[in-house]
Amino acid sequence: MIIQTKEISKRFGEIIALDAVNFEIEAGEVVVIIGPSGSGKSTLLRCLNGLEKTDSGEIVIDGIKLDKDKSSIHKVREELGMVFQEFNLFPHLSVLGNLCLAQEAVRKRSKPDSEKISLELLKKVGLLDKKNSFPNQLSGGQQQRVAIARALAMNPRIMLFDEPTSALDPEMIGEVLEVMKNLAKEGMTMLVVTHEIGFAREVAKRIIFMDQGKIIEEGKTEDILNSPQNPRTIAFLSKVLK
Amino acid sequence: MFLREIINWISFQLHILKNILIFLAPAIPMTIKLTLVAFALALILGLLIGLARLSQRGLIKALSKIYVDVLRGIPLLVQIFFIYFGLGKILNLDRFLAGVIAIAVCYSAYLAEIIRAGIQAIHKGQYQAALSLGMTPYQTMRYVILPQSLRIIVPPVANEFIASLKDSSLVSIIGLRELTRAGREYYSQYFVDFQTWLVVGIIYLVMTLSLSRLVAHLEKKYKVHGYGIPH
Repeated sequence: MIIQTKEISKRFGEIIALDAVNFEIEAGEVVVIIGPSGSGKSTLLRCLNGLEKTDSGEIVIDGIKLDKDKSSIHKVREELGMVFQEFNLFPHLSVLGNLCLAQEAVRKRSKPDSEKISLELLKKVGLLDKKNSFPNQLSGGQQQRVAIARALAMNPRIMLFDEPTSALDPEMIGEVLEVMKNLAKEGMTMLVVTHEIGFAREVAKRIIFMDQGKIIEEGKTEDILNSPQNPRTIAFLSKVLK
Repeated sequence: MFLREIINWISFQLHILKNILIFLAPAIPMTIKLTLVAFALALILGLLIGLARLSQRGLIKALSKIYVDVLRGIPLLVQIFFIYFGLGKILNLDRFLAGVIAIAVCYSAYLAEIIRAGIQAIHKGQYQAALSLGMTPYQTMRYVILPQSLRIIVPPVANEFIASLKDSSLVSIIGLRELTRAGREYYSQYFVDFQTWLVVGIIYLVMTLSLSRLVAHLEKKYKVHGYGIPH
């Protein structure tokens, strides 16, 4: 198991964001999390890399137990790449600068090394010609592809995607999903929060359905999409697949 | 006849102005030195206090809030008196050091608030992105947040810099021979008031205008793509 959570819970004041969530992911698996907004999907991803602290429960990532001490959070973040709904590129740095910064600061790579790796990744996401552009000069789809390349530059073992296409115009969703599909084909372990059922159907091995901070149902992609068992899953899918 | 009198008058006035300028000139470096040293200290203190205001730790946060509230609530002139005549007697501070400390401490309170606001203006997604890439909180602040905050911080900090240059004249009251003190000395020797304060004022103005030029240059340097009014 590359990711394992035991009974993790998280509250924001009165709201229970995560309610004793258990799940496991194997290396090389692509798992999609679906569910209505406010169901705890994003909170779950944020807890995995320590951006949110869980109130209780245990998270183990690639053999590292995530606890309160900072060194474990740091180690775990080195294994996890994260892509955000709002891209979160650094606006004061060029595309190349965005890719190189953490490589040099965290991985302690030399400038030529990090640039070489960055250029290869930009080529992979089809944006080599944008290396000197600034984030605000790019379309949303291009920004998100840069954000994916930036995360990959750290050589993560697992990639977390938090609604990566939700802030995009419809005509740009395809180019981002294409990059993600290629990544899945290469065997990257991926945990994806998304409403793109088409992407799930094509790429995901498993689907997890969450509602009100709980995992309501999980199983093989075709089982969940074709014959969901729980009434809430059925209701949600009937709206999404309409 | 009449024209000649005017020319004589003008040349006499120019002569006085020149004498004043020659008298004041040696005091200008002290004003510059006082302002630069005090403001550099104020920036360092202000950054530390500004970061302390954002601390997760309750005690640090509370203490820094008290620091800001107290120091910006007391007139600089009173702080100068307190530090020179109060603390100065105990710690044996000379006039320059007392002046530097008073200006630095007072302005650090204003700067702390500006720096805090500049940091808080950066979207939380920037922290999350930097932390998720494995960067430490220090690296995040140093390479991601502060460079973006500079765009916001530079204009108001420049305001404070210019204000501190002007406020350095208050230190004349404890007898440090800077520009304003020199002006008072000239006046008490020759009883020329209008011309003396005119020259003192112009010298301050030349210095502050030079600073404004420097600031315009810095603002250009720390511009972040995608912000500002579109052209």
